[in-house]
Amino acid sequence: MSSKSVDLITLDIIRDSLLAIGEEMFIAVARTSKSPIIYECLDFASGITDKNGRLLTQGNGACGFLGMLTSLVHSVIEKYTKKGNLKEGDLIICNDPYGGGGSHLQDVGLVLPVFIDGELFGYCVNKCHWSELGGKDPGYAVDSSEIYQEGLQFPCLKLFEEGKINEIIVEIIRSNVRLPDMSIGDMWAQISGLRTGQKRLNEICAKYGTQTVDHAIERLIQSSAEFSRSQVGMLPDGVYTARGMMDKDILGNGPFPIQVKVTIEGDQMYVDFTGSAPQTKGPINVAYDGLVSAIRSIFLACTDSSQNVNDGVFENLHVKAQKGSIFNAVRPAAVSCYYESMQYAQDLVWQAMEPIVEKGKLTAGHFITVGAYSISGTHSVTGETFVDVGPTLGGWGAGCDRDGDSAQFCTGDGETYNIPAEVLEAKFGYRVTEYALNTTDAGAGEHRGGYGIILGHEALNEGMTFSGTYGRFEHPAWGFDGGKEGSPSGFDFLLKDGTYVPQRGTGSKIEMKKGDIARMVTGTGGGYGNPFARPAEKVAMDVKNEYVTIDAAEKIYGVLLDLETFSVLGITEKRKKFSEKVS
Amino acid sequence: MRVATDIGGTFTDIVYIDEKGKVCVNKSHTTPPNYEQGVLNVIQKCDILPEEIKDMTHGTTVVINALTERKGAKTGLITTKGFRDILEIGRGNRPDLFNFNFKKPKSFVPRYLRLEVEERMDYQGNELTVLKEEDIKTCIDTFKKEGVEAIAIIFLHSYVNAEHEKQAKALVEKLWPGIAVTASHEVSKEWREYERTTTAVLNSYVKPSAKTYIDKLYNRLEEMEIKCPKYIMQSNGGTTTFENAKEVPINMVESGPVAGIYGAAMLGEMLGEHKVIAFDIGGTTAKCSLVDGGEVKTTTEYKIEKNARFPGYPIRVPVVDIVEIGNGGGSIAWIDNTNSLRVGPKSAGALPGPVAYQKGGTQPTTTDANLVVGRLSPKNFDMDVDMEKVRGAIREKIGDAYGIDVLEAAMGIIRVANSNMLNALKLVSIRKGYDPREFVLVAFGGGGPMHAAALAKELNIKKVIIPLAASVFSAWGMLMTDLRSDDIQTYQVKLDNPDFDEINLEWKKLKEKAYTDNEKKGVPKKDVYFQHYLDMRYVGQDHTVKVKVPNEDMSPENIGEFIKAFHKEHEQNYSFRLEESGVEIVNMHLASFGKIEKTPIKEIEALPYSLKETVKEVRPVTFEEAGTLDTKIYDREKISPGMELEGPAIIEETSSSAVIYPGMKASIDKFGNILIETGV
Repeated sequence: MSSKSVDLITLDIIRDSLLAIGEEMFIAVARTSKSPIIYECLDFASGITDKNGRLLTQGNGACGFLGMLTSLVHSVIEKYTKKGNLKEGDLIICNDPYGGGGSHLQDVGLVLPVFIDGELFGYCVNKCHWSELGGKDPGYAVDSSEIYQEGLQFPCLKLFEEGKINEIIVEIIRSNVRLPDMSIGDMWAQISGLRTGQKRLNEICAKYGTQTVDHAIERLIQSSAEFSRSQVGMLPDGVYTARGMMDKDILGNGPFPIQVKVTIEGDQMYVDFTGSAPQTKGPINVAYDGLVSAIRSIFLACTDSSQNVNDGVFENLHVKAQKGSIFNAVRPAAVSCYYESMQYAQDLVWQAMEPIVEKGKLTAGHFITVGAYSISGTHSVTGETFVDVGPTLGGWGAGCDRDGDSAQFCTGDGETYNIPAEVLEAKFGYRVTEYALNTTDAGAGEHRGGYGIILGHEALNEGMTFSGTYGRFEHPAWGFDGGKEGSPSGFDFLLKDGTYVPQRGTGSKIEMKKGDIARMVTGTGGGYGNPFARPAEKVAMDVKNEYVTIDAAEKIYGVLLDLETFSVLGITEKRKKFSEKVS
Repeated sequence: MRVATDIGGTFTDIVYIDEKGKVCVNKSHTTPPNYEQGVLNVIQKCDILPEEIKDMTHGTTVVINALTERKGAKTGLITTKGFRDILEIGRGNRPDLFNFNFKKPKSFVPRYLRLEVEERMDYQGNELTVLKEEDIKTCIDTFKKEGVEAIAIIFLHSYVNAEHEKQAKALVEKLWPGIAVTASHEVSKEWREYERTTTAVLNSYVKPSAKTYIDKLYNRLEEMEIKCPKYIMQSNGGTTTFENAKEVPINMVESGPVAGIYGAAMLGEMLGEHKVIAFDIGGTTAKCSLVDGGEVKTTTEYKIEKNARFPGYPIRVPVVDIVEIGNGGGSIAWIDNTNSLRVGPKSAGALPGPVAYQKGGTQPTTTDANLVVGRLSPKNFDMDVDMEKVRGAIREKIGDAYGIDVLEAAMGIIRVANSNMLNALKLVSIRKGYDPREFVLVAFGGGGPMHAAALAKELNIKKVIIPLAASVFSAWGMLMTDLRSDDIQTYQVKLDNPDFDEINLEWKKLKEKAYTDNEKKGVPKKDVYFQHYLDMRYVGQDHTVKVKVPNEDMSPENIGEFIKAFHKEHEQNYSFRLEESGVEIVNMHLASFGKIEKTPIKEIEALPYSLKETVKEVRPVTFEEAGTLDTKIYDREKISPGMELEGPAIIEETSSSAVIYPGMKASIDKFGNILIETGV
């Protein structure tokens, strides 16, 4: 056999092996972690870069970390490698949101340089959400106004020097966090993941030779970059813009005007957020590296979402935002709820790109928010104190040929699972009064937006408190091509005395009395196409399924139905006019 | 005589063992949609007297077919008030991270057939609201009007108190005699309402078609004068009666595949190998499972249609823990959009099949590649193979794209397919904390024997076993099974200061129920045996591990053993233990077995051929490192126990070949199995 040809297939197999190493490193962390947020919610990412810091593969449980691993390694290269100050056996810890981190302090990054025969070969890197990192509130603060309230900061420090752990750093962690065993346990889980990667990289280099592996890496990056350029090249050249308003922060500042200009020039894509609001006092700012992550996700969604992720894929993506703006925050901006602005930034690009990407890749606007809530109190039966923290489900936008999905987590999440009502009741001792779809008449269209949810929690004793930060309370999801906008996300209360406390988007530590019900009520996604174009039979089925009221069928969809049989009796004048105009 | 039949996608297999322990096998074409016909055909092909059959076990794809083809019954769902949308809400997860036009699993029951009734239990099983019978009547009226064919009932916390579900079911049956109905506690008694709902719904969904099939098969067998006890293979690695299978058909979802895994475990036991990796390559997928200590592992985390991008539908019944990947003989080789060679997961299936089948397939598959490199022979197919067409497809789709010749391209396909399968084998072993070097690889299915030796070498596995009945091994496995049922009961208790009497009473209740159920199946008490498992975790964790615990009552004296077993299992699964942490039980799991008398398998007799005479031909075969070598092809039909041979070699049988690499040795054991020493 000719040597050249064998090489190509060997290179493919090495590529597959690199991807498998990435997966194995990811699983290793999940397997060794002691925190539910890591092994249940998979709120972490891990990957491998080459010696220049180019990401080769990344394992994710959530979308949010895409790009943050690269910036972590780059901060190590800047601070240590370039100065000749990186040794075999070093391991670096970093969570600086403004320099190498990108998200919030709780996402702690570790970087392990891998040496083969004494030469730097690449880096293993991961980033995990630690359940506890100190700061003013347990978990993380949702109403902080500067970074110093949010927890411990590790500005790219050597946790290990030439194989020896720096006990001082460990002691500082131990004395500054509320659950030291859990946090330090997570640290060791991360280290074990990195060492798994190191071991496998050594094996693969021993098997194929470092040079051949380097070839495979080059081929991986180049072919991905080439494919990415071909994908962007298919988009029409031009300047595409979107504007929006971001909801108030929890401290009452805002709302904030935001905007984007996306330029497609040949096979390059430029995304510029210049003109968006300055950073705010509340914790919803995002640092630049976090912004890049959000845009990388939507870039994949617009091109080919199924491809393997490496830095070659993003060579032709350029992101810009003004320093000191809400999308490129600088110290000491509060960033603990960074994901809200990240989601908004992504949504702006989504909106700008929707008209030009291939049909079927994007939907109308979705409910956007992570919907982070926190309920605490004492268990009504066991008397144990509890904190129930998590994201909330909501409605996704309609597509060009389908109704939107109901009750999904936002795009920033991923392989995240909701907690079943039966588990909630047993674990936290409150009562779940309902877990239902929030079938509002919003999001109407030829294709309907998906529905959010209503999840009710009744306090069975005194002392329960509720906190929540829901974006898109003031500015619901956008409809597309004549589709209607969605409905707001937030929470409301049904008090025991019969009072209804209307829905709002944010609130911290709201006290509840026994018998009060707190309800998360999340929004419908945007509709796609004019509601008058929705086939009458589908509207009839919607009414039969109680997704759409018979009233809305007539007023919004222009379809007249028999109340008993749900058969179509006719259409309204308005719908007739619309049909005539279209044909 | 004992008989097992297994329906596969292309063939219906039979394996039977006579009174003297002699094993015979046969095959016949599968006959959709009247699958029972294929079963009768294959029995008639054999030399079997109906009155001599002592028992018969059957594996069927009827349930999984109804599910994946969406050909089940129109099903209505009755739920607790406030919770009818649980089925549509699901769990909200999205494995396809960057697809912003993601489509979540579509509910099997549309919203207008999901109806709510007033009733409520709390999480401890206390009744908060009595069941409003009037509501059930309203549900039935609606269902009748809408032409519903099956009903599922799920109420919150029925895993701890099923009283309301029982009442509702009784009322449904009274109001609508004969309707197929499932109450969730009958199929799962674990918490998590979405999973219990899908399990109950899917059981009802397949109930009518499973009943029709089983009744037809039963009647046809009776007509043939086969009057012996008849059993059906379940996904938990054991069998049940036809009657029970009609009630809980969802237990048959992986009927066939798990029997092969179970068979590999039993073959290991026969040969004194207690650590086995079972490896099965079929037409569209490769499956593997790890057996430690002779015991197959079951899980209730099973999902249908789940893959890397789709969440699938959970079915919370015990299923043998299998990792399955889209890499089989029919898997298609293709070049992806970054110019890399891929194999699978798309498969040419049975129709059109590989190019070699000449049924219209134009995409090169793993089978085609194995033909080109000489590992398969065109002469060994039951159809004409046009090798020029096969070579042409590989040259055109793969070779030209890479600028390589057809042989190199075919070798490339095999190497990539092996790389995929290697990852699956690592998933069940290395990544779960097992060292593959301690295991033997039992390889079966059409493709297992062909790829096993190369994979074993990569994993540093010393020994590969190719069973005698490799291509009908699931049916072989069925002959080794007992009746099995699993009762899993969520029962949460911390072990720092437990009420032992209460725990033991719980075991007792489970056992009494098992005795009664077995009696109904015709198994006397003396033939019933148990295995206790506990799903346990450290206090504060969410996930549990299944722990095999002593089959005895728990007491202050022996509780240490239970906890020790948990620490060990936890460390195996998650690589650490927390000796200081509290431990709790989440579920009690009683596996009960109804023993079936088995005939020991007889050693096979030597045939009158010398090793030399068993050589069919010498042909060029290409190997990864050694290149193309003249290779002896042995005829498995002629080969005798005790024979030894050296690689490069191929032992060929109808529809399968075992590949022995240069430097490896193979021998035939006294039962006719091929043992390959990989030399690592």
